[in-house]
Amino acid sequence: MSDLLRDIYSSIMDGRQKETAEKVQEALDQGADPSVLLNEGMIAAMTEVGKLFEEGEYFVPEMLVAARAMQTGLGILKPYLVKADVKSSGKVVAGTVKGDLHDIGKNLVCMMLEGSAFEIIDLGADVDPQRFVEAVHQTQADIVAMSALLTTTMPNMKVTIEALKAAGLRDNVKVMVGGAPLTQQYADEIGADGFAPDASRAVATAKSLLAA
Amino acid sequence: MDKKPSFITLDFQPIGRRVAVDPEITVLYAAQLAGIDLVAACSGLGICGTCMIRIINGSVSPPSLSEINLLDTQELDNGYRLACQCTALSDMRIEIPPESLPGGQKLQVEGLGLEIKLAPVVLPYELHLVPPTLDDLRSDSTRLREALQELSTDDTEIAFPVLASLSERLRGQAWNARAAVRTFSDRREVVGVFPSGTNLLGMAVDVGSTKLAIYLIDLETGATLAQKGIPNPQIVFGEDVISRIAFANKDVKNRELLRYRLIYALNQTIQELCMSVGCSVEQIVEAVLVGNTAIHHFVTFLPVEQLGAAPYVAAFSDPLEVRARDLGLDIAPGAWVYFPPIIAGYVGADHTSALLAAQYHRNGGSGIRMLIDIGTNTEISLGVGKNIYSWSTASGPAFEGAHIHDGMRAAPGAIEKVSIVAGKSTVATVGGEAPVGICGTGILQAISELLRNKIITTQGTLRKDQPGVRSQEGRGSEYLLVSAEKTGHGRDIVITRKDINEIQLAKGAIRAGVEILLSHAGIPPEDVEEWVIAGAFGSYLNLESAVRIGMFPKVSIKRFHQVGNAAGTGAKQMLLSLDERNDAVKIVKRVEYIELTAYPEFTQCFVEHMSFSED
Repeated sequence: MSDLLRDIYSSIMDGRQKETAEKVQEALDQGADPSVLLNEGMIAAMTEVGKLFEEGEYFVPEMLVAARAMQTGLGILKPYLVKADVKSSGKVVAGTVKGDLHDIGKNLVCMMLEGSAFEIIDLGADVDPQRFVEAVHQTQADIVAMSALLTTTMPNMKVTIEALKAAGLRDNVKVMVGGAPLTQQYADEIGADGFAPDASRAVATAKSLLAA
Repeated sequence: MDKKPSFITLDFQPIGRRVAVDPEITVLYAAQLAGIDLVAACSGLGICGTCMIRIINGSVSPPSLSEINLLDTQELDNGYRLACQCTALSDMRIEIPPESLPGGQKLQVEGLGLEIKLAPVVLPYELHLVPPTLDDLRSDSTRLREALQELSTDDTEIAFPVLASLSERLRGQAWNARAAVRTFSDRREVVGVFPSGTNLLGMAVDVGSTKLAIYLIDLETGATLAQKGIPNPQIVFGEDVISRIAFANKDVKNRELLRYRLIYALNQTIQELCMSVGCSVEQIVEAVLVGNTAIHHFVTFLPVEQLGAAPYVAAFSDPLEVRARDLGLDIAPGAWVYFPPIIAGYVGADHTSALLAAQYHRNGGSGIRMLIDIGTNTEISLGVGKNIYSWSTASGPAFEGAHIHDGMRAAPGAIEKVSIVAGKSTVATVGGEAPVGICGTGILQAISELLRNKIITTQGTLRKDQPGVRSQEGRGSEYLLVSAEKTGHGRDIVITRKDINEIQLAKGAIRAGVEILLSHAGIPPEDVEEWVIAGAFGSYLNLESAVRIGMFPKVSIKRFHQVGNAAGTGAKQMLLSLDERNDAVKIVKRVEYIELTAYPEFTQCFVEHMSFSED
C-alpha cells in the first residue's frame, strides 16, 4: 500500500474530513487509479470502521465522523470513477417510514452503503408508502431500505411492503429494514427480505440480498 | 389429539400469584393483565431482555429468534426465557428473578420552596345550621345552600357526589359543618362537607415517565405535610412513553391498563401519606396533576395514537378540570383535579409547571434565561424578554443509571463522586458504603475525569495505552474504576465504551437543543443571564463536569442555578393559588414550540456535540 493510500485510510478511520479530501486530491493528481483509491483506501477504511463498530470499539460518533470524511473524499473521487466506468454495487431507495422524523440512523446507513459503492436515492424522513413505490418505479432500484426509530411507526414498514405488492413491484426489489426497535423476527413477520441491527451490518445485508 | 385447553393456569413465584389465562397470549401480557410487576423496557418487542423469567415446570413455546439472540445457551438450558416471547402450552410454574422486578428505589421529590400568596380555588366555610322542624321543611341541601348564601352572596351548588353522605353527616355533626366550596369561572360548588374545624388538604402530583412525586399540602397554610416519590408503575408496559403508546395502540384494553395502574398506585400512595400525618384521604378537596403530554393523556384516557407518529400532536391541550371520582381517584367525593395547559406533543404540562416555578412570568418576563429540565425526556426553554422558545428531546434514562454497565440509582453504595489523579482513581459513594455501582452524577463525573486526564479521546474512544484501560472480549474496551477487592459485591466496577456512548448521546441531544434555541433566538450563550437546571438528576449534577463534557456551554458556573423538581414545585403553586393557574395559561401563550427533528441543522449539531471538545 502506498503512503498516500495509507494516509487516506487512516484519515477516514480518524474522521479527519479535510485531510481525507487533500490526500484524495493529491493521489489523483499523482495519477493514482481511482478504483484502487475507492477499494483499497475508502471502502477498506469503512469496512474496518464497521468491524470496530460491531466489536463495540467504535460507536455512532466515530462512525459518523468517519462516514463524513469518506463522503468528502468520495465527492472528489466521483467524477474520476465515472470516467473510469467503475460499476456501482447496486441501487438503493432509502427512507424513514411515514410518521417518523428520525433520520440519523437512516443517514448513517446511506453513508455506509455509499462507502461501499452503492448508488443511493434518499427519500428523507416521514416517507409516505406511495413515495417509496414511485421511487422504485422511477429508478428501477434493486433494494428498498426502510428505517424506523419509534415503536409506534414501525408498522408502516408493513404498510409500505403491502403498497409495493399492490403496485406489482414487490418481486422487482429486495426489501431491507432496520432501526432501534426492530428485530430479525419482526422483519420476518412483515415479509422483509433482510434485516440489519446497525449501519455497519446493513452493508453486508445489502450485498447478500443482491448476491442471492 | 388433545383439544387445546380453553385456559391455562400460570403460577408466578416467589410472589405466589396464580392466574388463569387465554393460552394464546404471551406470559408477559398475562402478567401485565394480572397486575404482576415485571420489567419490560421495550414493551414486549423482544429487544431489551429485561422481562427474563425462569420456567420451573410446565411446557412452553420453543425459543424465538430474539430469545436465542439475547439469552445464552446456559440460560436457555436452565429454563430462562423472555416473558414477552413465550406462550404457555400447559399449566406452568414461573419464577420471576429479582432483576426482572421493578425496584423500589429512593427518588428525589424535594423542589424549590417558593413564597406565594395563598389564593386556593377551594375555601372552607364554617356553618351552623338550624335543624329541620315541622315549621321548616327545607331539604338538607337547600338548608346548606341558604346557610352558605348568608356568608357570601353568591349562590352555591352542591356537587352531586357530596349528596350521598350529606344528610347523615349534618345529623351526625349536630348541624355544624365545615363546607369546602370551590370557585369556578362562572359558578361555585360544595365539594365536601366535614366536621367543624377540619383542615382542608390538597394534593400536587408530578408524574414523570420514570417516577412520580406526590405532595400532600395543607390548603390553608400552604405547608407541605408529607411527600413521597414512587416509580411510575407504567414502566412494566415500556420504559419510555413511545413504547407505552405502542402498547396502548394494540388494544383499548391496554390503554385502560395504563390508566388503571397509575391511578391505583396514586391511591395507594395518597392513603399512605394521609395515614402518616393522621388525616383522611377525604380531606383532600383539590388536586393538581402535571406530566408530559403522553402521561396526561393516559391519566385522562384521551387518545394517544396521534402522539406516536409525526407530526406528534396532542389530542387536547387546554387547561382541564376533571372530577377526581371520574378518574378513579379516592379523595373527597366532590373534589376536582386540575391539569394545566400543554405546550406541544412532547412538551407537556410538566414543563408548563416548571416554567411557572422558574418564574418565567415574573417582572413581565424580562431578561434572558435558559431552563433545562432533565429527565428521561428533557425539555429546554429559552426566555428572551416576552418570548419563550421551547424544545424537547428524548435524552434517555442514562442519567438515572439505566443502560449503564454498572449503573444504578442514587442509592447507598452508588458512586457519586470520582476523581482521577496521575492514573489513580478515587471514588465517594452515597452513604459512604463500599461501592456497588455508579449513579448518573457519578458516571458524568467519571467521564469528565477520563477526559481531563486524556484517557479518552474527544470522540469518546478509550486510549489503550493509558493505565486502567483494558479490552474485554465481546464488549469492547473499558476503564477499571474500582477493582473487585474494593467493591461491596466483589466484582469490578467499570466504565465501558458503551457507557461513554450513552452519555455522549444524551449530552449531545441536550447541548444540540441548547445551541439551536440560542441560534433560533440569535443569542450568544454568554448573553444568557441565568441557566436554571431542573429535574431530580439536575439538582445533584456536578456543574463543572457537565460543562467539561460539553453538556452545557462554557459559561461562568455562577450563572447556573439548580432548582430540583421544578415541575412539582409549579404543581404546588397551582394548587395553592388560582392566580398561579392563570399565570401558567399566560406563560403557555408566549411559548413558541420548535420541533427539532424538523429543524435541518439538528443532525449536524447533534453529531458535533456528541464529541467532547478540546480543552
